[in-house]
Order: sequence, then C-alpha cells, then structure tokens
Amino acid sequence: MPVIPVAGSEEFANLPTSPAETRRIVGTAVKLHEVGQSVIDALDPLTYEVIRHRLTSITEEMGEALKRMSGSVVVTDCNDFDAAIMDEVGDVVQVGLYNTELAASLDMAVSWTLRHRAARPGIAPGDMFLCNDPWVGGGLHQNDVSLFAPLFIDGELFAWTGAVAHQVDLGGVSPGSWSVAATDVFWESVPTPPVKIVENGEIRDDIEDMYLRRSRVPKLVALDLRAKIGANNVAHERLHALCEKYGAATVKAVMRRVLKDAETRLRAKLSELPDGSWTSVAHQDSARSGDRGIYKIVCTLTKTRDTLTFDFTGTDPQVDGLINCTYAGLRGGIMPVLLTTLCGDIPWAPGGLYRCVEIISEPGTINNCTFPSGIGKASVASAWATTNVVTECLAGLLDAHPEHRKRLMSVCCGTWDFALLAGVDQRGGGFVTMLCDSMAGGLGARTHSDGVDTGGLACIPMGRVADVEMNEFSFPMLYLWRREEADSGGPGRFRGGVGASSCFIPYDSPLGGVHLVVSAPGKALPLAGGLAGGLPAGTQHDVLLRSTSVHEDFAAGRIPALLSELGGEAEVIPSHHETDLGSADVYFTHWQGGGGYGDPLLREPGAVAADVIAHKVSVTGAHDVYGVVLASDGTVDQDATTSHRSALRLSRAGLDSDRQEVNA
Amino acid sequence: MAYVIGIDIGGTFTDAFAADESGRVAATKTPSTPPDFSQGFLTVLDEMAGALGISTRALLSDTNYIIHGTTSTLNALVTGDVAAVGFLTTRGHADSVAIMNLEGRYAGLGSDRVQDMVLTNKPAPLVPPQLIRELDERIDYKGHEVVSLDETGARVAIRELVDAGAQAIAVSLLWSFLNDSHERRLGELITEEAPGLYVALSCDVSPRIREYARSATTIMNTQVGPRLRDYLRPLEAELRERGFGGSLLVMQGSGGCVDSSDAPSRAITTIGSVLTGGVVGCTRLAESLGHRNVISTDMGGTTFLAGLVVDGAPVSTTSTVLNQYQLNVPMVDVHTLGAGGGAIAWVDAGHNLRVGPRSAGARPGPACYGDGGTEPTVSDVDLLLGIINPGNFLGGRKKLSKELAAQAVRTHIAEPLGLSVDDAAAAVYAIQNAQTADLVRKVVVTSGHDPRDFVLYAFGGAGPMHCASYAADLEVGEVVVPLGSTAAVFSAYGLAASDIVLTAELSAPANFPTPVADFNSSFAHLRAELEDRLADQKLKFAHVAYRNEADMRYTLQLAEVATPVPAETVDESGLADIATGFGELYERLYGKGSGFAEAGLQLITYRTQAVGMLPIRPQLGEIPSGRGDPTPSSTRRVFLDARRGWQDADIHDYRDLAAGHELKGPAVVEAPTTTVALPEGCIGRVDRLGNLVIRYTQV
Amino acid sequence: MSLFIDDNLEQHSDGSVTCRHCSHLVGDAAAPMNAARVTETAPRTAGPSVREDAALFADRPIVFRRTFCPECLTLLQAEIVPGDEVSSRHRSLIVGA
Repeated sequence: MPVIPVAGSEEFANLPTSPAETRRIVGTAVKLHEVGQSVIDALDPLTYEVIRHRLTSITEEMGEALKRMSGSVVVTDCNDFDAAIMDEVGDVVQVGLYNTELAASLDMAVSWTLRHRAARPGIAPGDMFLCNDPWVGGGLHQNDVSLFAPLFIDGELFAWTGAVAHQVDLGGVSPGSWSVAATDVFWESVPTPPVKIVENGEIRDDIEDMYLRRSRVPKLVALDLRAKIGANNVAHERLHALCEKYGAATVKAVMRRVLKDAETRLRAKLSELPDGSWTSVAHQDSARSGDRGIYKIVCTLTKTRDTLTFDFTGTDPQVDGLINCTYAGLRGGIMPVLLTTLCGDIPWAPGGLYRCVEIISEPGTINNCTFPSGIGKASVASAWATTNVVTECLAGLLDAHPEHRKRLMSVCCGTWDFALLAGVDQRGGGFVTMLCDSMAGGLGARTHSDGVDTGGLACIPMGRVADVEMNEFSFPMLYLWRREEADSGGPGRFRGGVGASSCFIPYDSPLGGVHLVVSAPGKALPLAGGLAGGLPAGTQHDVLLRSTSVHEDFAAGRIPALLSELGGEAEVIPSHHETDLGSADVYFTHWQGGGGYGDPLLREPGAVAADVIAHKVSVTGAHDVYGVVLASDGTVDQDATTSHRSALRLSRAGLDSDRQEVNA
Repeated sequence: MAYVIGIDIGGTFTDAFAADESGRVAATKTPSTPPDFSQGFLTVLDEMAGALGISTRALLSDTNYIIHGTTSTLNALVTGDVAAVGFLTTRGHADSVAIMNLEGRYAGLGSDRVQDMVLTNKPAPLVPPQLIRELDERIDYKGHEVVSLDETGARVAIRELVDAGAQAIAVSLLWSFLNDSHERRLGELITEEAPGLYVALSCDVSPRIREYARSATTIMNTQVGPRLRDYLRPLEAELRERGFGGSLLVMQGSGGCVDSSDAPSRAITTIGSVLTGGVVGCTRLAESLGHRNVISTDMGGTTFLAGLVVDGAPVSTTSTVLNQYQLNVPMVDVHTLGAGGGAIAWVDAGHNLRVGPRSAGARPGPACYGDGGTEPTVSDVDLLLGIINPGNFLGGRKKLSKELAAQAVRTHIAEPLGLSVDDAAAAVYAIQNAQTADLVRKVVVTSGHDPRDFVLYAFGGAGPMHCASYAADLEVGEVVVPLGSTAAVFSAYGLAASDIVLTAELSAPANFPTPVADFNSSFAHLRAELEDRLADQKLKFAHVAYRNEADMRYTLQLAEVATPVPAETVDESGLADIATGFGELYERLYGKGSGFAEAGLQLITYRTQAVGMLPIRPQLGEIPSGRGDPTPSSTRRVFLDARRGWQDADIHDYRDLAAGHELKGPAVVEAPTTTVALPEGCIGRVDRLGNLVIRYTQV
Repeated sequence: MSLFIDDNLEQHSDGSVTCRHCSHLVGDAAAPMNAARVTETAPRTAGPSVREDAALFADRPIVFRRTFCPECLTLLQAEIVPGDEVSSRHRSLIVGA
C-alpha cells in the first residue's frame, strides 16, 4: 500500500532553522540569552582554553553518568548513546565520542521545541523535553529517545544540554520495535514529538506513564529515562558553577568561539583541497520481509573553495517498508563521516561544522521521507547507507591531497547485522535482547594501511561487544564459534578490515528455543564499497540450519567448525525475517568487513601470505583475487606469483594473452 | 638493628629508602642503569650503606626485607621483549584475543586519539597464528561438561606448538573458572609432552568470567613469567653473595608485595609495581597525619599520576589496560592524566593555545634542558615564571637555560598569538593547572566522591610547583607537600612501608542471593588458597587480615561493583545486608535512583585479599621546631597567578625551615628535589614531620 | 602542476587524466575514466567474499563491474551493483586546482 499523506503531519516535518528565525518565532515567550561580538573578541587565549576544556570535560561527564546509570546492554556495552551541550537556540557546541549519529539532529529538536513549545506549555527552569519523533529530530528512528533540558541563568535561557540513547523496545509489531513486516510507521513504535516530561525538576507521572505504556520492557526504559535526567543534571550543575566563576557572557562567548573555531578550521582544511565534484551510490537490498527490491541513494558532493554541498538528487523515492529515514536521519548519516574523516583533528562542534555544509534533498525520497513512511530501522538502513555514500564521496575529495588523504577510510562495515533474540531465559525470566556481536565490523582500508579487522562501525568511535561467556550467562544460547571470517575484508592494495561471524544454538531455555528477528541486508550485493580499484567487502551471510546433528557431535566429542559438518537443512536467510529457533537449530550470522583501497594485484605479496597464515584471506582468495601463489610452506612463490599476476591482469580484463577480447 | 629497605627503579632514577626499628631513616638516589637495572639496584645499596656510615655487607646482613618496585615486567610487555608463548583454547574461540571485544582498537587511548578514529589501530597480536591451537572440549555456563577434552588432539597440538618454537604455553578455555578439569588435565598433558616448559592456566592466573580479558591476562602472564624469573634469580643470588639473609619482596600493582620466589608464577601482578609506591606512601603518611581521604598527585618530568585514598585505604580497581589489552589484575587505581612537566604547549590550527597531551618525554625533554628540545613545555614555563631557580634545579645538579625556554615560548606561542613571552608563559601555566583540575576532578567524581571531602598530596619534581593552583580549583581545603626525610624518594618510602598482599578470586556468576552454603564455601575456598600461599612466603607477620568482596551488579548491567563482604561466614540476613550494601554503594557511584533493582541482582566474582603486615613499619622522625618567622634566603619576581601578574616573592631554602614556621604567599620554597609555589592567598605551614601544609585564606 | 586524483590517476594542467602506473591517457577532467576499459561479470567472480548468488535475494540482475587502465590494465574502479543501472560513481576535479 503506498504511503498516504497525513494532513496535520506538516507541523512535524522539521528542517534546520537559522538562529535568527528561531529567535524571531520565539519572540518574547522565552528570554534567550545573547552575547555581543565585543565580548567574543575580548576573550583571551587563557580563558578560552580553560573554559573550552571544561566544556569538553562536562560532556564526558554526561556520557559517563548516562552510561553508568543505564540498564540497557545497548547503552552500557555498545555505547549506542550520546550527549551534547548546545547554545540557547540548540547549536551543538560539543558532542561526546559515542554514537555521533544520535547527536546530529539535536539542534533541530531543540529549535522545534523553542518554536512550538515556548508559548504553550512554556519553557522554564527545571523542565526537560522528551522526543523520539525523527521528523522533528533528536534521533534517527523511534528507538532513539532524546531528552533535552534548558539551562536558565538569571532568568534567561542560556543553553541546552541533551542526552540520547537507543531504547531496547518501545512497542510496535515485532519485539525490539524492529517490525520487519512494516509497510509504514503505524506498524512501528509511536513517534512522540517533544513533550515536557520533567517539570520544575520533577518527573510528570502522567507523561511518563504514557511514554512507558508502549514498551515491552517499561522498567528498563524508565531507568534509562532517569539516566538521561541524571546526565542533564550533572551538566547543569557544572555549567552553573562555570557561569558563576567566569560570568555567563564569557562562557557563552567561548561557546560561540568554539563553533566559529570548528567552522574556521574545517573551512581552512577544505580550502587546501582541490575543488571538484564526486558522485557515488549506496544500495540497500530489501525494504521489508518478503521484499526483493534494491534501492539506491545517490550523492554528489561538490566542493567549492571552503564549502561542501551534498546533493542527493537521483536517490530513489521512499518505499513501503522500515528502511526509510527522515531528514534528521540524512543529517545523522552525514555527520559521523564529517567528524571522523575531516575532523579527526578539529573540535567536534557540529553547530559550527554544519555552517560549511549545504544539503540538497527532495522530500519523499528514501533518505528524506515524509510521514507516515516506515522508519523503524532508519538509523542502520537509509541513514547508514547515507553514511556509506558520503564516505566514498569525502574519501575521493581527500584522496586528491597528499597529506589529507592519510585520514580517509573506505566504507566501513556496510550495514548493521541486526539479530534480536526474545523468549524465556534459562532462569525463567522473559527477555528481549539485540545481539551486539556485529558491532565488531571491519573498518575500511586506508591509503597507507589496511582497515582494522573487527574494528567497529563508522558511526561509533568506541563500540564494544560482550564476551561470549557473558552472553551465554545472560541469555539461553551456546556458541559454536565467534571468529573473524577470511575474505570478508574488501581486497585491495590495502585490504579492508575483516568482519566476523557468530554461530550458536538455543540452549537451556525452558521453552526449548528462542524467537529470532533478523534484519540484515547486503546479501544480494555487498554494501561497503572499495576505492581506487579496491574491491567491496564481502556480503552479509546468514544461514539457519534446522534439525542439525549438533548434540550428537557434542556427545561424540566434536565441536563442529563448519556449517557443512552440522547436517540438517540449510535455509539461507533473506535480509528481513522473523522465525523461531528450536533446540537443535543452528544460527550462523556473518557480518561485513570494510572496503579495500587500490588494485589487489598491487598488494605486497608477503602481506597476502601473512594474511593467509592469519586466516584473514583464504588460499583461494589469495590466488584468485590477489594473484599470489603460495609455496607448500605458506611463503610466496615469487616467480609463480609474477606470472600468475600477469595472466590474471589480462584475464580479469577480459583479454587473453594476446590481448584479444574473450567473453568474460 | 633490623632494617627494611624500599628500592624503586624508574626509567631515570633508582631510589632507595631505609628505616630501622628505632625510627632512623635514610634516603639515596642514583641513576638507573638500563638495560641491566640490577646494577643500579646494587649501587644504590652501596650508597645507602655509605649514608648510614656502615658497610654494604653490614647493612645487608642486618636487613630483614628489601621491597623492590620494578619496571622489568612492564618494560618487557611494552617493548615486546617477551617469551614466545603457545596458546591453547576452546575450538571456535581463538579469535577472541584478536577481536578484543573490538574495544582493543581504542582502549587506554586519550580522547584526542579516540576522536582521530581513522588513525587508530589494534595492537600487534598477542600470539602469532602459528602458535595458537584450538581443541575439542566444552564446558557450559553452569560448569557442566558439554564436550569432553580430546586428549589425543591435545597432545598433538602441544607437540606442534613446541616444534613451532613455543617457549611457554598459556591455556585458557571457556568457562574454566567454573570447571577447571579440562585446563588441569591439559596442564598435566603439557608437562608430559614438554617437561620443564613454563605453563600458565587461566583457572590459576585469573579465574574470572569474560574470556577475552582472562585469556589476555593468562597469555601476558606467560610472556613475562620466565623473564621475571630470569631477572630475580640472579639478583637474589647476588644479594645473598653480599651477605643478605632477609627476604627479597616484589611490589605488585595491588599496592602490596609478594615474595620474589612466588612472583614469577603471577608475574602479571607486578605490572603496576612502580606506579603504586606513591599512593602507598600517601596512605602511610595520611595515617601519621590523621587524614582519611587523600587525592595523591605525582607530577614528574614526563607523567602526571593521580590516585585516591578513601577511608584510609587506596582505591583499587580489578582490571587495567596495557598496550590496549584488557587485563584482570587487581591494582591500585593510578590514573595517568598527562605528560607532567614535559607536556608541550602549542598553538592549534584554529589559533588556540593548547597544552599537551603530547610530551617532550625524557628525550629531548624541555627546551631549557638544552638537550635538543625546541618546543615549549610546562617545565620551561615554570622556569620563565620564576618558580624554578635555574641555578638550583635538582639541588644544582642540572643547569637550565632561561634563554632556550624563552626562545621556545616566543617562537611557538608568543609570536603566533601576538602575546608577550611573559603573558604566553602565564597562560600556559594557568591552562595546565585548570586542565589538571578537570582531569583530577573526573577521577574523584567517577569513583563516587566529592573533591571537597579530600586533602590533596602533591609530590614528584613538578607537582608542588602547580598544586596550590589546581587544588584551589578543585575546592580542596588543604594541600600537603611531603618534604621531610621522604621527599626525594617518596615512592621508595611507600615500598618500604608496604604489606604483603595476596589476592585470590573466582567467578561463579549467579542470581543473588545465592544459596548461603554456596556463598560461604566460595569464600572458604579462597581463604584456604590464600593461607597456603601466605605460608609459602616463609615470612613472619605482625598481623594477618583477610578482606572479602564480591563483584555484584544489577542483572544485564555492565558495571560490576566490588562490594565489601564480612570476613566471617554469613547467614541469610547477612546476604540481605550485602545486597543493601551493594545498593548503597551503587547509588554513591552512579547517582541516586540509578539502580535497576527490579531486574534483580547478580553476583559475578568472589574475591579475597590477604594482607600480611611486616613486623617493621618505618616511622617518620619529627623535625626540630622553630620560632618566629623564617628568614627568606632571597626574593625574586615570580608569576603565580594570572589575576595578580608579576609579584615580588620571598624565596625560602627548605633547609632553613623548622616545624611551626609559617610562610605567606606569594612565596617559593626551594627543596633539594622540588620547588613549592605559594600564590598569594595561601599560607604554608611546616608540620612536625617537615611537610609543608598549604591552606587558603582566600580563593 | 599535476594533481593525483587517487592511487592510480593523475590530472594534468591541460585537463588530461593519465594512469600513474603507465602514463597512458585514460580520460579528461570532465570524465577521468572515459577511455578506460570496462568489463561486467557475475558477482561471484569478485572472489570468495561474495557468499551466495544474488538471485537468491533479488530479482534485478547484479554485476561485478570493473574499470581498467586500457594500457597496463590496473584496476581503477570496482563495484558490485544492479546491472540495469548506469554507474553512479563519477568524479570531476576542477582543472588547474
């Protein structure tokens, strides 16, 4: 069924708004703090650096507070959260080093709140607003719940602080709110535009109940709400003290200058890079269970002097399913790459960085969808694909500069391999958990070195996976293996980092099995592209083996190490799927590596031999893709390699040894 | 006379501190002698004997204990000069130490490097693939055998590892801490197949849940065990040769020591050996001064270390990060917060003044050393601001160049920013102090405390030059600069004043409360193990105490909290009290209302620590009292506070001070090993032990 | 002054783009690879990293498209994409930048 426009939803179709426009609309409803240029100009280097460092330290403290209070593995183990300090209109001055996608559109949510809530119900000291409406901002899909709080100094709204975290379940058809059969947002968790859930320092019970009632794990979500309140409180206490010591005008002047500094430095770096345009594409296979379509996001990056324009013209229209993302998701897809590839050595002040960026995108497309399109997995679907295409474009830009090219990476792990387990655990309690093993994706290759094997994801600088023992203790499962997968890193002169796989059986649940929700595309085609002749990383690969011989193998003293040793019937799992696992069923999930860089035939043969010994590349891969022939002791057979590479160079280009066309 | 001697070997200096039962103490210092650090060890003993006016033989024959802080284990791991280790593990799980829970890409890195994500990498693999074998065997989460151990395959694997060059073998199997039968049997098979080979089993080294850290700990232990053995054996023989009849003890990261014969089998516990002496020294000094809560700050030429003493005991952690690997090693929680006096000041691409985290290190060091350093460091700034006396640095042993310092500041800071050299230097000093306050505050706050409840101790060559400023920012009421007999060798004093500390632990994750019998028998098991190991130390103790704790958490949460448990057996109400204690501790650490009590509690790991107090505990002697106001040795212009600019300050020679003397800031005290800066608004008072105690009359 | 576009390509002040390995002309600033040799083969010819046949999951044709230097046959670009879609991967550096 096509998406039917919903009258009344326009109010929530939010776009970034300039500070002046926000101020104009707010009018006199709330007094917004302002500082004159003369105060900014008068800042001395000492005061600036001392306060800047303290703002960074406060953001870190917010992150620590949130992480320590949260009860959710997704937050505590996987760092799927972030925290930020914003100025009075929401421009983000400092963002934490966690999931940077999440903080990319807090400014939009705060500005919307100022424009729509200042008059009624009003914005006052001690208030905090909750939002999980990705059309408004503050998160990419409904599971990302932000909580932002105005900080008042002497009766003026001085700044905002915000905390965002992924909540395990907020309702919807499937456990985890990941409704793989969804055609539109009404199958999913209800988006909630900004509501005042904390008033005058106290939680409003009526609003909290309305929020929690939708969840399968309300207690857990309630705890995370308190964690976010705690994070905001920590920041407010510290910011109050800072303003008391240095004066609010001085602190605000520093915030303004941090934004300006980030902008100036990004512009300076951009000025050093050649002007030009770079176009690339990112695909996704399957929009919902049963769907066999392939969808593209096209991006043309134009760099002119010191500005970047991301033009998404050519991107496919929004689609029935759960993979669309809103404008906030689009920005969430861009910001992580801006930060990691362009701003490794520039302050992470998105409010300043955005000033160097223009975005052109047509509403109604897959990464700028309109209500009520399905967006349940936006963060790891169209937002992630946006990250992939932007990574390629920015890499092309950086590659043309002899120094800056050292900070480019090919596309990292092309998607999130989502596997959710639900059921009754070995102690008799109900459980819902997202398996976070696939946090250990491969990172993209660089121009001077290989990508990091099982090194993480592009958008989370500090990801983490739980130990096998901790997962087996917490959930009814037993692993046959968790291992790096040979050939999963994109081949190249520098190889993409390898991804890995986990293979497990349900174990010891009183129900005998567990419920499984899978949402893991990249099966029809790999999603992490290579650069400069480097190949894409491998495809996602999920296999369910029904009624295997695993228990007989165990009894006979064997641990199967290959799917082919397990017997049973193999089902290759499509990108979206929901099913139950029985006690002798084996689930194998293999997530992606990073893309390669440069022609694999130019890779140092010794490095290929070392990769074979370390199981990063198979003998077949070494021979067929890298053209390296190994002697029986595993070392490079130099002569055979030279002649094999010559032959491969011709044959892969569809030529025979006389350079005649052959039918490839 | 019976002596106890602490010897602390650092990268630059080897320090020694000796005390006898009568309260007589002596301190000496000599350059370290890498790569053979034992030379410096023996030299400093000769100098100590000289200081006491006796022969080395006489000193050694009268010495009951030598407590040694050594960097040898840490150096071996950092430089990779370790034994080739073969690794045996469960089939399907060898990659755990390569995947490193993925956090190995950034663990232990500063936030500036984490942010520069594209340039981050995992460290080199702990074990090359040729030296890893997976075995058919499996234990489940209840400790039940799922797959029996394939002994035939194991024997083949062991022989292959030895043939491939393994000099030692580490074994770490899934769930071995719950059921160690497969690991123990493998230990036997290794002994049969490769007699004499150094073997470490994870169920001995680190019987704690989470296979990645357990395996990494076991492997690293195996890498350094043989090296530590090869260092200590000849050293001890040499000491015996020179008449030593006492015990050679080795300091561990836990803040307690262990007999040198026992150390190699648990070599990994010695990685924090030289870091913890300072915190232990603070703990002992705090006992004398009656301080319960202390922030220990040690700012040297190349590092800034911070630790905490709470309720009279050092704050500890159950794990640490080394070379980006997560290790299960109970340690005094010493945080490396920066580069100390070597931190480089620079102007970033946005034209902002920054200090650190890059360091000039020991080579080339600060510009003023004249050893080739051209970038301005915090030490250069201390010199330019008049805090350091160029003619009297390290008691006049090192000449410093003000010109080189000024040139570095002018070129790199003042000119680019359009400031005078003085203003640039003052800004660097203030930024360094404010940053230090931010970082120290984070250490205190994340351990669940408020800096205002602490006294701050400042030592190391550079700490006292900055402490009055960063302590004020932390709103600490009082600062102690240890300046008595221990000043030059504070860490060595800490070593000499330490206890024997042994730790045993065992994971048995389960919902809490567990059955009372399980709970008590787990601790009884740990107690019995420690009693055996204490007996193995072959020492007499003045007193032995046992401390029990349990790592507990709310179900599904990552953060486990080491919760105190009574040393005697408990009943069901005792278990309830422990749960209550956990809840209170959790709220203190993570904030009110933070616990997810509805999820239920889990107990993950049992741990017992045995503390054997040695019969000799060094007592610090009192210094004579003085009358009236001390006479300054000179005055000079100093810049200690950006709000006040250059001021004339009294310069005091520490040797002219006596107990009870009071100094008003602005003033500078020059001691042989450090310089204390007292900004305006501070009063420094010399206490009976010779320490300078700083209080604030205004902030 | 010439400009390195990436590991393989170089753009000259006249806008011509050549191979850095063999100096052969490959294209110009507007279309740096327009003289390059392009082949399309089945995705699984990319090697063992492509784990299953695309037809299991999608109805559209999927191809492994490679672009080579026409002279030395260095691989300049590799992509696995729907075969019924023209390549979107393109770049153009301003001449004289």
